Amino acid sequence: MTKSGETLPLAPKIDVSYISKIALVVTFFVLFLWSWVKIDMSIFGFFSDFQNVINLFGRMYPPDFAEISTVISAMVETLWIALLGTLGSVLLSYPLALLAASNTSPNRVLGAFSRGAITLSRAVPEIILAAIFVVAFGTGPFPGVLALALHSVGMVGRLFADALENADEAPREALMAVGSTKRQTIRSSLIPQALPSMIATVLFRFEINLRGSAVLGLVGAGGIGTIISESLETIQYRPALAAVTVLFVVILLTELASNAIRQSLIGTAANIGLQSQHTRLWARLKQRRDTQVLNDSLARRSIVQPWTSERLFRLGAMSLVTILILVAITTVDINWFQMLGNIDRVQIVLKQMVPPSFAGERSMLISGLVESVAISIVATTLGVMVALPVGVLMARNLNVRKWFSTLMRIIVLAVRGIPELIIAVIFVSAMGLGPVSGTLAMSIAVMVFGGKLFADSLEEVSPAPREALVSVGASRSQEFVSAVVPQFVPSFIAHLFYMFDVFFRSSTILGIVGGGGIGFLLISSIRVYEFQLTLTIIIAGFAIVLVIEWLGLIIKRLYR
Amino acid sequence: MISIASLSKRFPNGTLAVDNVSFDVPEGQVLGLLGLSGSGKSTLMRLLNGLHTPTSGHTTILGTVVDQCSPAELRVLRRDIGFVFQQFGLVGRMTCMENVLVGALGQLRGPRFGIRSYSKVLRRQALEHLDRVGLASQVFQRADTLSGGQMQRVAIARSLMQKPKILLADEPVASLDPESSVQVLELLTRIAREDKMTVVCSLHQVELAVGRTDRLVGLRDGRVVLDTLTTAETDPESIMHLYRRTGAAEVVLTQEKEYA
Ligand SMILES: Nc1ncnc2c1ncn2[C@@H]1O[C@H](COP(=O)(O)OP(=O)(O)O)[C@@H](O)[C@H]1O
Ligand SMILES: [Mg+2]
Repeated sequence: MTKSGETLPLAPKIDVSYISKIALVVTFFVLFLWSWVKIDMSIFGFFSDFQNVINLFGRMYPPDFAEISTVISAMVETLWIALLGTLGSVLLSYPLALLAASNTSPNRVLGAFSRGAITLSRAVPEIILAAIFVVAFGTGPFPGVLALALHSVGMVGRLFADALENADEAPREALMAVGSTKRQTIRSSLIPQALPSMIATVLFRFEINLRGSAVLGLVGAGGIGTIISESLETIQYRPALAAVTVLFVVILLTELASNAIRQSLIGTAANIGLQSQHTRLWARLKQRRDTQVLNDSLARRSIVQPWTSERLFRLGAMSLVTILILVAITTVDINWFQMLGNIDRVQIVLKQMVPPSFAGERSMLISGLVESVAISIVATTLGVMVALPVGVLMARNLNVRKWFSTLMRIIVLAVRGIPELIIAVIFVSAMGLGPVSGTLAMSIAVMVFGGKLFADSLEEVSPAPREALVSVGASRSQEFVSAVVPQFVPSFIAHLFYMFDVFFRSSTILGIVGGGGIGFLLISSIRVYEFQLTLTIIIAGFAIVLVIEWLGLIIKRLYR
Repeated sequence: MISIASLSKRFPNGTLAVDNVSFDVPEGQVLGLLGLSGSGKSTLMRLLNGLHTPTSGHTTILGTVVDQCSPAELRVLRRDIGFVFQQFGLVGRMTCMENVLVGALGQLRGPRFGIRSYSKVLRRQALEHLDRVGLASQVFQRADTLSGGQMQRVAIARSLMQKPKILLADEPVASLDPESSVQVLELLTRIAREDKMTVVCSLHQVELAVGRTDRLVGLRDGRVVLDTLTTAETDPESIMHLYRRTGAAEVVLTQEKEYA
């Protein structure tokens, strides 16, 4: 043993990063307490609040399906709005992503410009965009489609660009080496690699847009949302539950369908899964065909790719989507020629927005924004406190019993099926107007959103250190704390800020249904055509989002 | 020390990875387990410390029948068995010190998080072990900033925290470059001999094994095809000759050449 062993310290030096971590935790607690007081939350209130919600459900039950045909046609409209909105966002995102991705961008200026456009497009919540477009085009599904298409570019465009940038460089170099042009290389090496992830993105966005389009009716942009909020406002609780039930079932079914498509196109089971489903007979036939092919002389062999079940499935899925889009375009209640002819009305509204001004509502604006921030802090914290154990129970690699994690997944999937603004509508009608209802509704959304995120990244934790700990004789809890938690911390921090970002944006629209925050002033400003104030609120909200993102970047670096 | 009796392991997917293996390892022996990739080395080693359960047969280690242990008994048994993995099993974000300290978890109650949650005595020990593997100057460096050879040395230090009587090493040098392979293996066998540990170390290179081990056991398709005592003078060629003769498959022979 050397002398150095005697003189070295037994713990790392207390350095800047250690102190800043502690300072961070303290700051967070102070912020949380401040927000808690700010929105008048109280622990005792919890029980009566949830009692009220349960009572409301009591009055809603059993659902009254008398108006079912109206509900269903509104639901179909909701589906079409989501589908066309997603289609629109793909059409906008694809060229933007090609311009924005660093490895496909033609030049820096265009790249920066497209990245800016992509970021800006999600600055305004879709329901606010929809409210603005309703002013321009009148009520109906068209403003909804337009709002979803524009707003989704923020996510779809960015993930498309990410997918392109994440593609392996080696095939691209190989193609360059055979002398292909830049466009050929992009088409033949980058796009094929990025495609599975792009399809997953589109499916995912479609699910989000379906939930989004379900509430567009609250601002007159079509779909089932109108029915739900109107029947709650007129105290017709049982028809309201009928509409919520239909919505819930449809959302769940689409999610299952989109999951199935995703799995069979890109999942780990993409090839194996389908094969193992073959019956023995099918396998024998296939084998005979394969031997036949091998025995045939080269000249007689077909140069057409054989039809495998995989290819058939893909063709089927693609045709189905195409047919659905065609049906949507032709049957939705939109006069396309008239609407597209009037597209310059957007410009007129936009012109009325500048220059931004406070319109004498400066103090309302500030207190509204502060309340939104407080709501999102409290809701995110409360939700995450539940989401963490939920995520652990959902993760399939953490020794939780399999049936139990499956059960948790189903519950989370089910609750996720209800759009958060609908939860907010229900909570507000149960416990009254104000930020407490909004906060509690949002914390439920945080719970299921976070549970899924946490479970997914817990499942990505490397098993090697865990195995090493098991073989030193560590118990389950020791293994969890010493091998799983340290690996999970960075993604937890990243998710936390992501959620804070997402739910701050949501908190700015809770006010539409009376759930507190800036949303009330925002939607009022649109309804009374105070567009200059609208723009001011949008800019202020976006500034806060940027601050959150910037804070997230710094803190993530601390927890690498 | 270790006694393996008619041990077999068939995975749920039907692969027979270990096929009726029997041999004993006396106290203090350093045994090299040879075999091509897929021959069942890792599966056998995992059966030894209970990470896998056998389909049939038994392993007795330190007087305990591994496959009859309850989870709690298994944990107690594992405290005395060090395990070194091919992929190190370090948490990249943690410092070397903390990665070594977790080796003591088997003797501690309850979960620990962070270096300061371990006693000074343990920290002092971790420091000494890191010094012993030649990493005294990297104690508070993050594990993911180390080279492969250094990472494996941290992993060795981690198993030293257990003060193991038995050391199982599953291809400890397979993901290292030739030079650090020699260094790490040299270190491993030297420490094992100094501390009088019984060692089972799987390898796929005969050259590395010869001269550092007391005995070589060869596996092919899960069966023992070679079992011979070795000395510093043993000729690697003769071992390879023995290994090949029993199977006589040309394919194996050529693959073997590639490794050599
Ligand atoms: N968890 C598992 N499930 C199914 N088959 C496995 C599993 N682990 C290993 N095998 C199979 O068992 C055989 C032996 O593998 P292994 O013990 O890892 O060999 P080695 O360590 O000598 O390379 C291989 O054919 C491998 O595919
Ligand atoms: Mg192996």
